[in-house]
Amino acid sequence: MSFKQFIKELNGKRVEGELIKTIFYSLLTSFVLLGLLYYFKLRYISDFLPKYGFYLFFSALSYALIMPAMRQVRSHKEFPCMSGMMIGMTFGMISSFLPGFYIAATNGMFIGGFFGIAIGVIFGIWNGKCCGVMGSMEGIMSGFMGGLMGAMTAFMLLNDHLIYAGVLVFVISAVIMVKLNYMIYIETKDHERGKKEDNLLTIALTFILIAITTWIIVYGPRSAIFQ
Amino acid sequence: MKNTLMIIVLGILVIGVGYFIFNSDKPVINGSTVQITNEEAQKIVLSEKNYNYYPQEIRVKAGQPVSLSLDKSVAGCLRSFTINDLGVAKHLRTPSDTLDFTPQKTGTYTFACSMGMGYGKLIVE
Repeated sequence: MSFKQFIKELNGKRVEGELIKTIFYSLLTSFVLLGLLYYFKLRYISDFLPKYGFYLFFSALSYALIMPAMRQVRSHKEFPCMSGMMIGMTFGMISSFLPGFYIAATNGMFIGGFFGIAIGVIFGIWNGKCCGVMGSMEGIMSGFMGGLMGAMTAFMLLNDHLIYAGVLVFVISAVIMVKLNYMIYIETKDHERGKKEDNLLTIALTFILIAITTWIIVYGPRSAIFQ
Repeated sequence: MKNTLMIIVLGILVIGVGYFIFNSDKPVINGSTVQITNEEAQKIVLSEKNYNYYPQEIRVKAGQPVSLSLDKSVAGCLRSFTINDLGVAKHLRTPSDTLDFTPQKTGTYTFACSMGMGYGKLIVE
């Protein structure tokens, strides 16, 4: 099974054919919400774009990165134990590391770390349960670890090349998520699709996540070093 | 919408929003970077107490040079001293090393070690 076949399947009728559409809807939701908030409220905050723009932009990209794999998992529901553990672990790690990183860069390690953990644990359990309790446990553990690690990395890079690190962290996470998409495709290529759903969940989840992230980054509590 | 078209729209969307954000004005830095003058410097020596800088609040006058050093009680990453908003950073390896700068504008600035573990406030009056 080559990666080329997976790329070909991105235009196919299986769930893989909806992955790019999912990224599109997620990004569109984030950018429309951020655009409206910026136009009506956020542009009046001094230095809003230079201070927070980068982190909000990459938060939006991060959420768009997580959604396609979630659609894949939900369309099949059940996986072998090993795959489920990998799914739970990857979801927990990436969905906690990225928000933790970007929020810690503006609000400090406590807020970044625990917001990252919350997102990572929720996504880890939600997606990891496709193989039962072990996948959920992997989700919890990696969400816990990723949230703290993401926040700690950002916080320790505050006086270093934080922006470059933010881009690199995103690129590495993107590669991991694409590999997860590929892995799920390999595991499920012989199975019938279990569930077909529209884009409502993607849009709703992205909306909630980006709204909370924006509120925290702009108005949320901060560590003493940012006050 | 076809995938190819969607990828093109996605690319334009990301590049457009990214360009808008990265092209925005940089924050106004109040004060200046390192500037040596002939005026007498305001000397500040910081120590370490409870794993943080001591004192945690320093007051200096605007427009007058500041000469800051860390005494021998300061250890580890706290010796890499930074004031991000003034664009000032230096690793003060020994107590005789100094960080010299002249803050030009009044305001409150956070100083910290390079990893953000120790921090405090510099009040320019």
